Amino acid sequence: MRPLRILITIMGLDQHEVGAVAVARLLRDAGMEVIYTGRFNLPERVARTAIDEDVDVVGLSCHSWEYLYYVEELLGLLDEPGAPIPVVVGGSVVTPRDAAALKERGIAAAFGPTATPAEIVATISALGARKARA
Amino acid sequence: MSERTTESGIPTHALYRPGDLDGRGYDERLGDPGSFPFTRGARASHGQRGWIQRELSGEGDARRSNEQFRYLLSHGQTGLDVIGDTPTMGWLDADHPFARYAIGTQGVSLCHIGDWRALYEGIDLAGLTLSHSLPAPFAVAALYSIARERGISPAVLRGSVIQSPYYNEDCGYAVHMPFRLRVRMAADSVAFAAQEMPKFHALVEDTYYISEGGLDGVEEMALGFVELRGITRELLARGVDIDSFAPRIAILVNCRMDFFEEVAKVRATRRLYARMMRDEFGAKDPRSWAVNITAHTSGLSLTAQQPANNIIRGTSQALAMACAGVHALEVSTFDEAFRTPSSEAHLVGLRTQQVVQLESRATGVADPLGGSYYVEALTDEMERRIEEMLLRIEALGDPGHLADTGYFRRIFDETTERYARAIADGSLPKVGVNVHTIPEEQDTLLRDVAERKIEPMRERIEHLAQHRRERDAVAADGAIARLDAVARDERENLIPAMAAALEAGITLGEIAGVLRQAYGSPADPFGGAAAAGVGR
Repeated sequence: MRPLRILITIMGLDQHEVGAVAVARLLRDAGMEVIYTGRFNLPERVARTAIDEDVDVVGLSCHSWEYLYYVEELLGLLDEPGAPIPVVVGGSVVTPRDAAALKERGIAAAFGPTATPAEIVATISALGARKARA
Repeated sequence: MSERTTESGIPTHALYRPGDLDGRGYDERLGDPGSFPFTRGARASHGQRGWIQRELSGEGDARRSNEQFRYLLSHGQTGLDVIGDTPTMGWLDADHPFARYAIGTQGVSLCHIGDWRALYEGIDLAGLTLSHSLPAPFAVAALYSIARERGISPAVLRGSVIQSPYYNEDCGYAVHMPFRLRVRMAADSVAFAAQEMPKFHALVEDTYYISEGGLDGVEEMALGFVELRGITRELLARGVDIDSFAPRIAILVNCRMDFFEEVAKVRATRRLYARMMRDEFGAKDPRSWAVNITAHTSGLSLTAQQPANNIIRGTSQALAMACAGVHALEVSTFDEAFRTPSSEAHLVGLRTQQVVQLESRATGVADPLGGSYYVEALTDEMERRIEEMLLRIEALGDPGHLADTGYFRRIFDETTERYARAIADGSLPKVGVNVHTIPEEQDTLLRDVAERKIEPMRERIEHLAQHRRERDAVAADGAIARLDAVARDERENLIPAMAAALEAGITLGEIAGVLRQAYGSPADPFGGAAAAGVGR
């Protein structure tokens, strides 16, 4: 079985890269393959990369409110019939209330500023494994 | 932990005594406020006057920000401090494909001269100090234009604008312009202001925002001095007289939670600056030796958990900066960890300053901590460490090369990770985060305010299209051509051509495009990415 493939991205003008890089490293250390897009992406590009690279989970680093809008667009683009790619958001601006609302709209998981590394690895592993089996 | 240290890692003893100070005398080490080396304060009179109290503001469009200004002024604020939204900070217009969800959410959206007119409508341009966290040449050119339009001489304008040519690409305000252009714009705005707006501080070395990723106080000031000295050398190389601009240099510092270290940092900075200006750059005017220091309390030190605790942090930080004798202060609002400040939180920030100033009485005396064995020993050590680090960086050679090859970026990234580790392993105690925590469901105090959001102001997109339709196309083309010619000739100053372009209705994003192209970069830095998105 191939290792899980995870896309880590930051969208719009959000420029805080450290969280994304730290999570990318965390997942790589846990044995996953990580594709990191760098800063300054729009949903279309992220979706195309996710599909082209055949990733199992898309992780969106969020340190500005822009993510609330972009994530909805991204969900629409990734909602392939049969096997939608799960989208996970995480970052300093993710509040419990927003996390709950976004889960209703279809994101798979949300990590606020207090999430632990173990929690992030476990959740993404489980989501990725489910997608890889699908 | 094996030993106690300050937040920047300076080992501390349990008690400080006279033997902890070296043999230098009072005049050499300290001097009275207003006297070389200015350790105790830049001005003789400062202790009695208090400081300029302001809160960083700006949201939505210029009109909404203007209302915010009036609200803060009506509650006793004594200056304005405006910050642009993320697109504006990156020289992007509101109708750029990357701007759509960030318009006016983290600051004010300013694209053209009409926005500036609305921003300061009914505001006393000649009487208030107007501080700007905005692209510096844009702020200088626009202020110059609207002052003249209103019949006010630019020479009377007071206020400031931040400069960040070395670090903005790496600290969240990427402008996608080459290093050479960034430095030129900084020097052009300072040289222009020295001539036309002599009371305006066109060179505010903003060490606040570069340190918000996790730099400690030594690193903050060392990097700040590297940039400040670089811009100063650029101006001297052009033949600009040091005494024509040095009296209007200011430093906007961060204030973290280590009370005495932050006080010592401000005092050490004043002394280091005074020696540098007099002995290294040869300034003759004593006003060139005394730097204005303003402060912004650390947003990074605030927490999403138990947001009410942030008010306590702000109070401690405001008191530290009052004791350090800063000239102006912004207190980061208690909702900073979540959002652009709410009006409720703005008012608490302002009230924090007012309570510290009027009720604590800590500030009726200049440099009240001067002579403390600990504070003096720490001031000496901070000065030594800051100077050592800045000289070490300068010895590495061309700062443009360091910036372009990621040297500074690595410092910012490593210190951010270091900060995250210190929180995670508890070596930096954070009440409510890694000590004295409570379950999330009990953490409700002030959270409703903190979680209220600002919607992106997408009507600005149509507004801008209308602006472009209605302007005089011939005048616009002429102004663009003129700006392009000036941009390609470094002997010319960019500011007059930028002011003329703004007056002809040219937008910030269009100006940026002309400048980037003149320096061999694509007009739209996101051309590739945006086109790829549209083409799908």
